[in-house]
Amino acid sequence: MRSDGRPSRFLFLALMLGLCGGLMLLAIAGVLTPAESIAAAPLHGVSGALNRLSLTLNRAFEELNSLGQLRERIAVLEEQLASRQIELIQLREAASDYDRLVGLLSYTTALENQEFLTADVIAFDPSGIARSVIINRGSRDGVAVGMPVVTDLGLVGRIVRVSANAAQVQLINDENSSVSARLQTTRAEGSIIGQASGVLRMTFIDLDENITQGDLVITSGLGGNFPPDIVVGQVTSIRQFEFELFQEAEVRSLIDFDILEFVLVITSFQPIDISVFDQSEGS
Amino acid sequence: MGRYLSIPILSLAAALSASIMPQMIEFAAAVLGSFTPILENTRGQISLVLLVVMTWSVRSSLTDSFVWAFVGGIAMDLLSILPLGASSFALVLIVFAVHIVSHQLYQVRIVSILVMTVLSTFFLQFFTWQILVLLGNSYDIPALIRLVLMPTIVYNLAATLPVYSFVRWMQKRLEGRLQSVPSTLTQEAGARTSL
Repeated sequence: MRSDGRPSRFLFLALMLGLCGGLMLLAIAGVLTPAESIAAAPLHGVSGALNRLSLTLNRAFEELNSLGQLRERIAVLEEQLASRQIELIQLREAASDYDRLVGLLSYTTALENQEFLTADVIAFDPSGIARSVIINRGSRDGVAVGMPVVTDLGLVGRIVRVSANAAQVQLINDENSSVSARLQTTRAEGSIIGQASGVLRMTFIDLDENITQGDLVITSGLGGNFPPDIVVGQVTSIRQFEFELFQEAEVRSLIDFDILEFVLVITSFQPIDISVFDQSEGS
Repeated sequence: MGRYLSIPILSLAAALSASIMPQMIEFAAAVLGSFTPILENTRGQISLVLLVVMTWSVRSSLTDSFVWAFVGGIAMDLLSILPLGASSFALVLIVFAVHIVSHQLYQVRIVSILVMTVLSTFFLQFFTWQILVLLGNSYDIPALIRLVLMPTIVYNLAATLPVYSFVRWMQKRLEGRLQSVPSTLTQEAGARTSL
C-alpha cells in the first residue's frame, strides 16, 4: 500500500497476474469448458461470418484473374473428356464386376460404413505457432474429441477440443500431429509428421522400401487414431542417408490448409486407446 | 466508457485476426515474398489484439490498460488452442511495461512505439510457445523464429501505425465526450471530491 492509501501498481499487477493464472489453471483442469462455450459462441459467429466474406472475396478475385486461362483450359479439358468417355465405359464395367464380387464375399470397405458430418471452418488459430481451425459443429451435433476430419481431397486433422456448438481441429501439418500412414503402391509403413514450414514429412520408412515421387500416401489405421485408406498426400521428394536406420519422404497434401472452407467430420469413427497395452508391457 | 468499449473492439480484433487476417497475410506474403525472401512460405500473423491493447495503454490509465489486456487476452484465447487466461497473463505484463516506459518518457515518439511493438511481439510469441510446450507440445525453435516470429514482427510493425492512429482517434473522441459532460455534473463531481 502507498502512503496515500491507494494500492501500489505492483500490487495491482500481482492481483491481475493472479487472476489470469487462476483462470489458466481452471481452464487447463476443464472447469471452465461450459463457460468458454457460452463466451465463445458470439465470437465464433462473427469469425465465421468474416471468414465466409473473406473467402468469397478471395474466390471472386481469383476467378476474375483466371478467366482467360480458364477458357483455354476448358477447351483442352473438353478434348480430354471426349477421349476419356471410352475409358469410363470400361471402368464402369469393371466396377460392376467388382460390386458383384464384393457382394459374393460379403465384404464392405471401411469408407462405405462411415457417417460424415459437414462443417464450416469459422476461424484459424491466430497464434501462428499452433496449426488448428475451429469448425461450427460441436458436442450438440455428436462431435467428440479424437474424431478424424477430412475433405474430398483427403485428411485434414482430428478434433482436439469440443464445445457445445464448435470444435477445434488440429491440422495434420501441425508440428505436434502424427498420423500412421502407408504408401499406396508399396504398402510401406511410416508416420506423417507436420513441419514448421507447413509441409508434411513421412518418417520411419524402412530403408529397403522403394519410394518414387508422386506415390500416393494414405492412412494405415495403425494406432487406432484414424481409419485406414484416407488420402494424406503425394510424395514430392525422398531423403535417404546411409547412416540412418530409416528414410524420409516429403509429402504434399492436396488440401490448401490456408483456405479451408468446408470439412467433413467422420462421426462414426471411434479412436482406439492402445496406451493400455504399453502400460501393461511396462509393468 | 473506455473499459466497456474494450469488449466489442477487442472481440472484433480477435475475430479479424482469426478470419480475414490470415487471408490478407497470405496475399501480402505472396506479393512481398518476391521482394523480401524472409516472408516467402511463412506463417506469421498480425497480432491485432496485441497492437490495439498496447497502443491503448500508451496514453491510458493503468486500470484501463489492465482491463483492455484482460479482455483482449480472453478474446484471443477463445479462438486459439491456448488455455483461457494465458494471453491475458502475457498482455497484462506487456501493458504494465508499456505503461511504465511511456510514463517515463517526456514524449512518446513513433520510434518508441515501434520498439515497443517489436519487444511485445517477441514476448507474446515466446510466452505462447512456452505455454504450448508446458502443455506437452514440442516445436522446432529455429524454424519457429524464421517462419513465425520474424514475419509476425514485420507484419506487426507494418500495422502498428494504422492501429495507433485508430486508437488515438478513438481515445480523443472519448476524451472529447467526457469534456462535453454538462457543467452541473462536473460541479457535482467537484463537490464530491472536496467532501
